[in-house]
Amino acid sequence: MKTSRHPARGGRLTVGCSAVAGALMLALAAPGTAVADSKDGRFPTADEVGGEVFPRGVQAGDRFPTDWDIYDANGNKTDVAKLIKGKRTVLAFFISAVPVSVEELKKLQNAFTGKGDTQLLFVNSDQVGGKLLGVDPIQETARTVRVIKREENIKHPMFVAPNDALSPTGLSNKLGFRGLPTVFVIDKNGKVEKVYVGPQDWSDTRV
Amino acid sequence: MSISRRNFMKGAMAAGVAGTAGSFAMNPAMAAVHDATGERQHDLFKQFKGNVILLPGKYSGSVSALDLSVPETLAWYNFGLAGIDMPIPHHIAALPSEDPYQGFDFYQTMQPPAAPYVNENSPEWRDRGAFKMFKMRYDGSDKQQNKISVVNDISETTGMALGVHVSIGVGPNANKYVAFADGQKDMVLITDLGDTPKIVKAFRVDYDPVARQVNVSHVFPDQSTGKFDFIDRKGMKTSHEAMLGEELMPADPTAVFVDAFTWHPELPLGAILIRRLGCCAIVDTNTWEVKAMLSTGKGAPDNFPLVKQQGYTWTYSVPSVLTPLHEAGFMTSGEYFLACNNVLQNNIAVYRSEDPDPMKWKKEAFVEGFGRKYLPLHMGNVPDSRWAFFTIWARKPHHGYICKVDPKTWKVVAKWHTGPDPHTCDCTVDGQFITTVYSGHQAGQSGMVVIHADTDEIVARLPNPGGMHDHVVVPESWEGLKSSRSTSV
Repeated sequence: MKTSRHPARGGRLTVGCSAVAGALMLALAAPGTAVADSKDGRFPTADEVGGEVFPRGVQAGDRFPTDWDIYDANGNKTDVAKLIKGKRTVLAFFISAVPVSVEELKKLQNAFTGKGDTQLLFVNSDQVGGKLLGVDPIQETARTVRVIKREENIKHPMFVAPNDALSPTGLSNKLGFRGLPTVFVIDKNGKVEKVYVGPQDWSDTRV
Repeated sequence: MSISRRNFMKGAMAAGVAGTAGSFAMNPAMAAVHDATGERQHDLFKQFKGNVILLPGKYSGSVSALDLSVPETLAWYNFGLAGIDMPIPHHIAALPSEDPYQGFDFYQTMQPPAAPYVNENSPEWRDRGAFKMFKMRYDGSDKQQNKISVVNDISETTGMALGVHVSIGVGPNANKYVAFADGQKDMVLITDLGDTPKIVKAFRVDYDPVARQVNVSHVFPDQSTGKFDFIDRKGMKTSHEAMLGEELMPADPTAVFVDAFTWHPELPLGAILIRRLGCCAIVDTNTWEVKAMLSTGKGAPDNFPLVKQQGYTWTYSVPSVLTPLHEAGFMTSGEYFLACNNVLQNNIAVYRSEDPDPMKWKKEAFVEGFGRKYLPLHMGNVPDSRWAFFTIWARKPHHGYICKVDPKTWKVVAKWHTGPDPHTCDCTVDGQFITTVYSGHQAGQSGMVVIHADTDEIVARLPNPGGMHDHVVVPESWEGLKSSRSTSV
């Protein structure tokens, strides 16, 4: 069973991108995030999210999609395509609400050899809500990511990628992941080499 | 035997001791149960005599007992007294009592605020609150003041802390068991009903996203301590309970969101509800073996195949999940098992569930017509199974509604827009009225509504300061519990 809690934090850093928070996410989503289809409270059909709850998703050999929003750990908007252009990239998606995915960050960092032009990037694929507290979800999520970075002693760049799971074009539906961590290894031409779903024994896996 | 003030006054008046009764009525501060005779609203509320309703204040940190016939709060308890910072009383179930004004026991689950306040989380919130299950007691025998108190911290007693639905065994399991579940840990715990509960059985459910299989396993306490090691956050897969629609959210790869266990009213069977997989594991409550894995979506097979049983783990193939579900339960008669499919499909699957072999249960119908904005969520029963009631939830800006379904046709025959963010339904002990709460999307409007089950009239509306997410009418008997927090949630 891979369910042990985060040793340093009790696995309690919670970031929510909930159905209930949908309206908030929509209001604050940056241009380019296609979320309009869930604005009126509709839920998607299976066909709109890959055919079922657990879609096939982006696979090895596919071109890695880059048309989604991303912010750095200071909450500044950046560009996925620029980040991975010309570099072999290990792109590790996690969610701060899931202890096992946070635990994976350090394991992956320790196993990462970083040879040549390969880079390791961590992306929190969610955002903290803040409607009642009146905070900016992107900035609040960036703050959460900075806490993880400090507590986990993460040396590699960390990012925030807002997600709307109920939008057919939300990040998790665009990439087709449901379990985190999910790690994409992308070659320097933007093609997916390998996809890892769930915690891995990275000591046996060269990344 | 002690007698409640209400019963004393009733008896006194019946004996014609009008003066004595009158003096008490004029001094309500001395009465532990108020006599509202003569008050203008008494004619309306007196018909609810005998109905004591428990209201867990999810956002007030308390639980209260309401006498619907006055109406007044009889007693309340704040879980801060149990040492919990930011307590979130979540779901509730009451043991039967012939005279709830005298006393009754009930169960209360609790979760950390990360779950209900998922929108508001920040690093500062992550250590607040707790997963807990308490056995509680209402004592109305004192003529001066009623009291709610903690009988047992079941999470500490058993070593397993679960924060979502609680349901009490009925039929073959009456007066034996209570079940707790939690979708953040994907665990179910069955204990006996004692004041110091004993562990009977525990389950854990894990999804394998690569093999596309689900494993249902018995989990066992440590032999040296006799307890589990799942206190508070331990064993937690996800730090907040999945909101509606979050079945599609990225989560722990093994997460399936086991929210509840519901009991068959006539057969030794129960159902583990597995939200994210749109499945219900049907368990034999004599042996606690898994007998079937129902797949409730429209277009899915009636059940998924068993791949293997190894030791105490049952592995089922789940090749595809056409839709998640939320809650599922039995009608009071046991004739049907109903599953609230939602998010990708919004319908209610109707299985005939009379056969002792759940592998023979077939989907006979679907209740449909909810569209894409409204999600079947919770189910409410009446004693004679003449209707089934459902909470139909919606995201803001929509309010959601309550509906009545005719089990002869499986059509929606009535609906009520009771208020924003509707939650559970229950029925009065006579089966005449439906009670339901709404909580205003974690803030704002909240209240409780009483609906006549047959005339469809909204009879009463009461304010509700705690954003109640659940409630239960204290059943009067084990038979009455079949239409309470047992067969459905």
